[in-house]
Amino acid sequence: MSLMEEHKRFLERFVTFLGEGNVIESKIPRERRVFVLIKVDKLRDAVTYLRDNEGFMHISTITGLDRGEDIELIYHLTKKDLSLNLKVRVPYDKPVVPSITDILNGAVLYEREIHDLVGVVPEGHPNLKPLVLPEHWPEDVHPLLKKWDLDSIRKKIDEVGARKE
Amino acid sequence: MSEREFVIPIGPQHPALKEPANFMFKVEGEYVVDVVPRVGYNHRGIEKAMESRTYIQNLYLIERICGICSNAHQTCYTLNVEEVLGMEIPERAKYIRVFMAELERIHSHLLWLGVAAHEIGFDTLFFYIWRDREVVMDLLEMVSGNRVNYAMPTIGGVRRDIPADKIPEYHKMLDILAERTKYYKGVAASEKTIMNRAAGVGVLKKADAIRLSATGPNLRSCGVPNDRRRDTPYLVYDEIPFNVISYDGGDQLAQVLTRVDEVFESVKICKYCLDHLPDGPIREKFSPLGKVPEGEAVNIVEAQRGELIHYIQSRGADKPYRYKIRAPTLANIPSLVERLKGGYIADIPIVLAGIDPCFSCTDRMTMVDEGKGKQWDVTGEQLRRYGIEWYKQ
Repeated sequence: MSLMEEHKRFLERFVTFLGEGNVIESKIPRERRVFVLIKVDKLRDAVTYLRDNEGFMHISTITGLDRGEDIELIYHLTKKDLSLNLKVRVPYDKPVVPSITDILNGAVLYEREIHDLVGVVPEGHPNLKPLVLPEHWPEDVHPLLKKWDLDSIRKKIDEVGARKE
Repeated sequence: MSEREFVIPIGPQHPALKEPANFMFKVEGEYVVDVVPRVGYNHRGIEKAMESRTYIQNLYLIERICGICSNAHQTCYTLNVEEVLGMEIPERAKYIRVFMAELERIHSHLLWLGVAAHEIGFDTLFFYIWRDREVVMDLLEMVSGNRVNYAMPTIGGVRRDIPADKIPEYHKMLDILAERTKYYKGVAASEKTIMNRAAGVGVLKKADAIRLSATGPNLRSCGVPNDRRRDTPYLVYDEIPFNVISYDGGDQLAQVLTRVDEVFESVKICKYCLDHLPDGPIREKFSPLGKVPEGEAVNIVEAQRGELIHYIQSRGADKPYRYKIRAPTLANIPSLVERLKGGYIADIPIVLAGIDPCFSCTDRMTMVDEGKGKQWDVTGEQLRRYGIEWYKQ
């Protein structure tokens, strides 16, 4: 069986497990790459299933992406010969996802990173102290959101600094 | 003023190489009970900066993420951009990219072996290895003109060719490297100093390594033969014969042996590339103002420290809409913490250095003595000396 065929079968199994209504889109652009967009409330189920049934033990990272209409998170999971890019979307006014650190322990720092940089809260994470941003960083500034540019961040930090003095 | 300096950092970063990172060690007597790492002191905002630069400008920005794996970052970046462009690069360029990647791995691993020897107080070995590392540095300079930041890969291929009349000389230099590395393997496997300070130190169990998503030699030294070059091959790694090295044990000795053996494999790959270099052009054209169509791509490269993953999203402009970088050191920090727990204070320098992050020498750490409620700051150098003295007792 060719690799593409294997990927297709894997995707079918995954969609069947989640139920078709919960999978918004999926594609296999080339060998060893699969992209799937699922509903955010199915995230924990999906990751647990992938770990226990499909052998995805390794999380490479989580990408936070400001799409302009909402925030997309991409969980880059890997098993031996396949990189699965699992996407979920959350609205700006409720940027919350369930934490998966207890399922895939390797996600512990990546969830803190997206919390810092795109402001998505991984609910249930054991420690959400800043990881890459300094301690005095203004709480509502998440630099990788498109609404923040260098000037506006600078202005905001000046304001916060002035308040402290 | 210090408040203003915080303005600069935006966006994710690369926590490696002489960078400041803080570790809070909870200790009880001579034992490490718990470790809390804090990274981010050198957060330069490269991902955000990339969104406002063209694809060609980014090529040189991304090379400057790290001095040691600059070529790995550039390789991953060019693979990503080419995938979205739908561009197939010439075979000769692929071989030259692999050749550069493996030369970089040799220089990085030899550098690491020297550092590891230094951390355990074996400075004779440190000087020997760094002297021989000059051979690969010269080789890199002959090929690219630079000792660091080689600027070889570009969108569409590579920027410099390998001239046919130089190939015999390159072979000779690679032979010297292989011969010297053979000697170091003998030293690593028999020398008492290394045995005493590395065997059974900073052990990571196989199950923990997998559970904590460790990568690279850090993972392969725990008996897990995972290597992106073989598992999800890129460029021409599926055409080149090489072995994936792994050692059981998960201690610092296994890390040393894994890297020594990987140097041999890299030399083999380099020689294979030189022997099988296809004819033809070395690059496709890509305009400096070139636009990239809408699309996204993920590419994973086996850098010398582990798996390096980049994600790109393009929206049809001459600049990326979003570019995400995750360097191997960040992935190895949770397993590093696991390695440090339960060990001796005297072993901290070698275990920290073990995952090859290169911050143990500049970094300051805070000691908290659980019993006495004391707290004091030490530098990496003080701790290194402490470790050497402690083992002399």
